[in-house]
Amino acid sequence: MIAKNPYVPSPAPLSEVIAETPTIKTLVVRPGEPMPFRAGQFVQLTLPGVGEAPFTPSSSPLEPERLAITVLRTGTVTDRLHACEPGQTLALRGPFGKGYPLEKTEGKDILVVGGGVGLAPLRALILALLSRIDSVKRLSIRYGARCTEELLYRSEWQRWAEPPNVDFAATIDNPQEGWDGRVGVVTTLLKGLDVDKANCLAFVCGPSIMLKFTTFALLDEGLAPEQIYLSMNRRMSCGMGLCGRCNIGPYYLCKDGPDMNYAKIKDYPNVF
Amino acid sequence: MTAYFVRNEEFVRLPDRTREYALFAPQSTASGLPWLAPLEPDATIDPDALLRPRAAQSPKALYMPAAESVGQYGTAEGGTAVATRTRPVVLFGVRACELRARAYLDQVLLEGEFADPTYRERRNATTIVSCDCVDCAESCFCTLVGGQPYPTEAFDVNLSSVEGGWLVEVATDRGRDLLAGLDAPEATAEQLERREEARQLMTTRVNEQNKPFAPGGPPLADDTHQPPLPQGDDEAWQRFAADCVECAACTNVCPTCYCFYLYDQALGPEQFERVRTWDSCLLSTYHRMAGGVRMKLSPRPRLSSRLANRVLHKFAYAPEQVGRLGCVGCGRCIDACLGGIDLREVVSTLAREGTA
Repeated sequence: MIAKNPYVPSPAPLSEVIAETPTIKTLVVRPGEPMPFRAGQFVQLTLPGVGEAPFTPSSSPLEPERLAITVLRTGTVTDRLHACEPGQTLALRGPFGKGYPLEKTEGKDILVVGGGVGLAPLRALILALLSRIDSVKRLSIRYGARCTEELLYRSEWQRWAEPPNVDFAATIDNPQEGWDGRVGVVTTLLKGLDVDKANCLAFVCGPSIMLKFTTFALLDEGLAPEQIYLSMNRRMSCGMGLCGRCNIGPYYLCKDGPDMNYAKIKDYPNVF
Repeated sequence: MTAYFVRNEEFVRLPDRTREYALFAPQSTASGLPWLAPLEPDATIDPDALLRPRAAQSPKALYMPAAESVGQYGTAEGGTAVATRTRPVVLFGVRACELRARAYLDQVLLEGEFADPTYRERRNATTIVSCDCVDCAESCFCTLVGGQPYPTEAFDVNLSSVEGGWLVEVATDRGRDLLAGLDAPEATAEQLERREEARQLMTTRVNEQNKPFAPGGPPLADDTHQPPLPQGDDEAWQRFAADCVECAACTNVCPTCYCFYLYDQALGPEQFERVRTWDSCLLSTYHRMAGGVRMKLSPRPRLSSRLANRVLHKFAYAPEQVGRLGCVGCGRCIDACLGGIDLREVVSTLAREGTA
């Protein structure tokens, strides 16, 4: 749904606010017209009069009439978005970007690696894959956060792992009371990776430093750069490859990504 | 295309000022380069300014103002609106480098998946009267980047100074329209020959003054061939970045720099406006993201990486993106730089070291 003027957003009422963690909320908006998107594509969410920021919907692309946008409170716009209440009208532009190459997942081992709020865009991918889980050989989800308070979607983990070809593991950086799961950064879950490496695609989303060390860990495990997709969610203003700021080499992450094949960008400067 | 000969005393009355449009033309200044400015309805064009080097500022702002509304939106359903404008503009005295810059902007802003509506509107409302360069600034280097100091295409009317007057070459209906009532003889073969000589003379002069930057002869780079440059995090860039004060003058005066930022402002409780402003890839705020302490908030925290990114965009990425070099050699960034950074020197030095 690209409006005639691609800079102007369309109204999208906020129907629900879900408090995920002390610092993360999920805002559910219902655009006036359904907004079909591919998993991994992003939208520009406007708080009218305040500004907009790019987010990849965390909900299933099979539900284009309802977009869930998971927001970490971390700056001017997200502070104000966290103060929003159901009934308020927000606005949307998009969707932008290419989205995940779902067509390439057929028959493959899919490794999804999330860090912190980076699980949000990956949830759209996970839900899309779960809706056709027989099409992939295996889906392995690896998730890390700094502490239990920052773990997202805990109530859904069990359901995700129900199909026999899906497995899920989570870790937090340091030991914490009430947590009897794995401890250590997310790359510790990648040691001795038990996937069909020759026939695997990895999708990674998280903060820059997590992307960097996860990429190196995956390369160490024997994956080729071509098998690694990174969600490069940088500062973006226009969303259309025009405003300039999200480039890596000749690529604009908004237009050519935000999920970039590592082989494409690895030889350019300032990737991480 | 037909060229006519117009004598000096008639020339100043061009173009037809009885029509409704804004006229921008270079004006002579007491010192330095001409200044591109709007002309009052009763003012005549300044032919002397056409005989000087290109104006100090590029005409980019006429297609893409430093700040403009790109649209309004409301919280009420159906409250969105497209910004409306634009009265016709005649742009006088445009140089070949600026026409190449506009062709580049056209490709970036109009020929991708999303066409920029305000740029398109302003651009299409503009009639271009270009002219041959018969003088150049020390910083001019069009021939070093595959250009030449006289327009051959992409204008409505082109002017060439000849003895006793001007050759006026009309390329489009729009140009013919602008000069309606022009009663002048066609240029003679001899006049066209003189024009060709003047063009070659000017080309030679630009080549000569840029010899130090392309010892093997021009061009240093063009749309199809670019010199190998070090990657953006290479230390080589730091030598040049040491002189950069991050003022963004180069990106502001550059005719091909188009990077921008969108911000919102309230017009009323339920009506809002989205404004586009120029931005600069050299500023530390350009890439800066929201985030907490200990997070890496910019992919290019070092100024040398940002300076490199700017030069690499022009000389490496743009040819890959749109098949054109992103630099037209107008030299304004050289004039504007407070730190005295000379783009020609940056590219030729790094290219030489890269191939050594």
